[in-house]
Amino acid sequence: MVRGIPFAAKLAAAFLVTGIAIFMLVPLAVVVLSSFSASEFLVFPPRGLSLRWYGEIVASDAYLAAGWTSVKLALVVTVLAIAIGTPTAIALYRFRLPGSEALGALFLSPLVLPTLIFGLGLLILFSNWGAGPSFAGLVIGHLVISLPYVIRTVGAVLAEADPALEEAARTMGANVWQRYRYVVLPQCAAGMAAGGFFAFNISFDDAVVALFMRAPDVETLPLRIYSQLEFSPDPSVAAVSTIMILLTIILVFIIDRLFGLKRIA
Amino acid sequence: MARLEIDNVSKSFGRNEVLKSLEIDIADGAFVSLLGPSGCGKSTLMRLVAGLEQTSGGRIRIGGEDVTDLAPEHRHVALMFQSYALFPHMTVAENVRFPLRMRNDGTADEQRARVADALAMVQLGDFAARLPKQLSGGQQQRVALARAIVARPRVLLLDEPLSNLDARLREDMQIELIELHKRLGLTTVFVTHDQDEALSLSDAVILMRGGEIEQSGSPEDLYDRPASAFVADFMGASNVIDTVTADGRVTALGGAIDLPADALPAGTVKLAIRQEHLRPVAAGEAPDGLIVIPAERQTRVFLGSRARYRFRAGGVLLHALVPGDAIAAADKADALAIDPARMVGLRG
Repeated sequence: MVRGIPFAAKLAAAFLVTGIAIFMLVPLAVVVLSSFSASEFLVFPPRGLSLRWYGEIVASDAYLAAGWTSVKLALVVTVLAIAIGTPTAIALYRFRLPGSEALGALFLSPLVLPTLIFGLGLLILFSNWGAGPSFAGLVIGHLVISLPYVIRTVGAVLAEADPALEEAARTMGANVWQRYRYVVLPQCAAGMAAGGFFAFNISFDDAVVALFMRAPDVETLPLRIYSQLEFSPDPSVAAVSTIMILLTIILVFIIDRLFGLKRIA
Repeated sequence: MARLEIDNVSKSFGRNEVLKSLEIDIADGAFVSLLGPSGCGKSTLMRLVAGLEQTSGGRIRIGGEDVTDLAPEHRHVALMFQSYALFPHMTVAENVRFPLRMRNDGTADEQRARVADALAMVQLGDFAARLPKQLSGGQQQRVALARAIVARPRVLLLDEPLSNLDARLREDMQIELIELHKRLGLTTVFVTHDQDEALSLSDAVILMRGGEIEQSGSPEDLYDRPASAFVADFMGASNVIDTVTADGRVTALGGAIDLPADALPAGTVKLAIRQEHLRPVAAGEAPDGLIVIPAERQTRVFLGSRARYRFRAGGVLLHALVPGDAIAAADKADALAIDPARMVGLRG
């Protein structure tokens, strides 16, 4: 006979889940609510209600430039991460080369190692080359920390797919290019989308690598927010953050519509 | 549609020799079953013919052309996988069109017409726009079949295609396969581990064991005249009993069976007796000319039109298959009767 889950355990689980949800959502709610404040200072609960800080952002060259840099950077990183990560995942999960496992662990190591190390290493390297911090440096740094996500998501899709499909395609006359074009890549599409989404978010959100690679003309949005907080903490910070949250939600929605998050998350 | 010749083909994976110099010649348009227990090499042979594995020795010819070194995509051999291997991101019609599209076989309109034909042949005309995951197992299996035949391959290889279907669907599909074969006349190799399927479907059966051919021939040959105890046992319907040869006599079951040695093949060490040839009788009432084996009746399994009995004779278990109208008499039997001419001597 199967015994039911004891009531006490159910209650504990309910508390735990609720607690986690509160922990995750309350800070976001605080930020969003603060952004509509009419006051000069970033305080909670907000005093008065206004959209003035959204207006300030739109009128601020510093925010717009940083925003534009971040979007450009995240897009370049996303495209490169998909373009490099997908073949890497195919090589790792399909060819089963000797050393595949070690390579796989290496490619995934940025997930567990402190980002700070990559930032520092990049700074030293770029200074050595005499190039100094730059947009290209940021791209490389963000690529390193976002590639593991693409490799993981594409790899997960490939691990689940039936390897007989490629053999079947072969017996049906498909040459190697046709097999990738019509069989392998379409199967990877969902993983590529999910990995791309992660890559975009990681690049858009990163402050650590950006901190090392920042230059007077290359400032990303997270850094802009950070320096604003340091020097004049007004609700514009909260307004920018709210816009970032909104952007993320829209992205999740689009990905879900196109590929179904359940299949890939 | 072409003759398939397997000429002295062997295959090893490392030190493990899975196929040992096989010789098989399958006539143009024949339907042949490759039968054997799992691990006998039948699926490997399939993959060799399709080109998905390289031979370690020997040649494979299709329609007289040596294809041993030809890549799978150029062999024009269709392989239907046990898992069906349907492309999950393509509709049924796109799946079936795939072999035509990859080979640029005909114009787009011609391809569409052939896809419609193939789908009609497997009675899935209304499902062209569906995705594979929206179909039942039986329907997916038909899509895979349509995809395998649409390009009229020179050889059609079916790797345990019915093993994932339930019993009723299986019987339906067996009949459809036979009809499809009659209509298209494709040279077909059907891999299975199910002896009933092999017997009911094919012109010829090749029974494999440990990478070698144990026996090949018509279904009747294998069933009625097994060449070895393994064949008799694998075909399922026979009792296989040990014999002793001495002084020109072959005896079994403690002397209950006693035959002149020259009535059996030289070197006989076992006898195969088909279950339906053993007749449960009352010891005193056996017809003349039959050998009577005193036996103790143990169990009866009712099978509808027939019943299977288990008897014990001299420490050996014997199975007898009895038609429905003889069950009443068999329930009282204390012996088994057998026509000596029905016993097949086996060398091992």
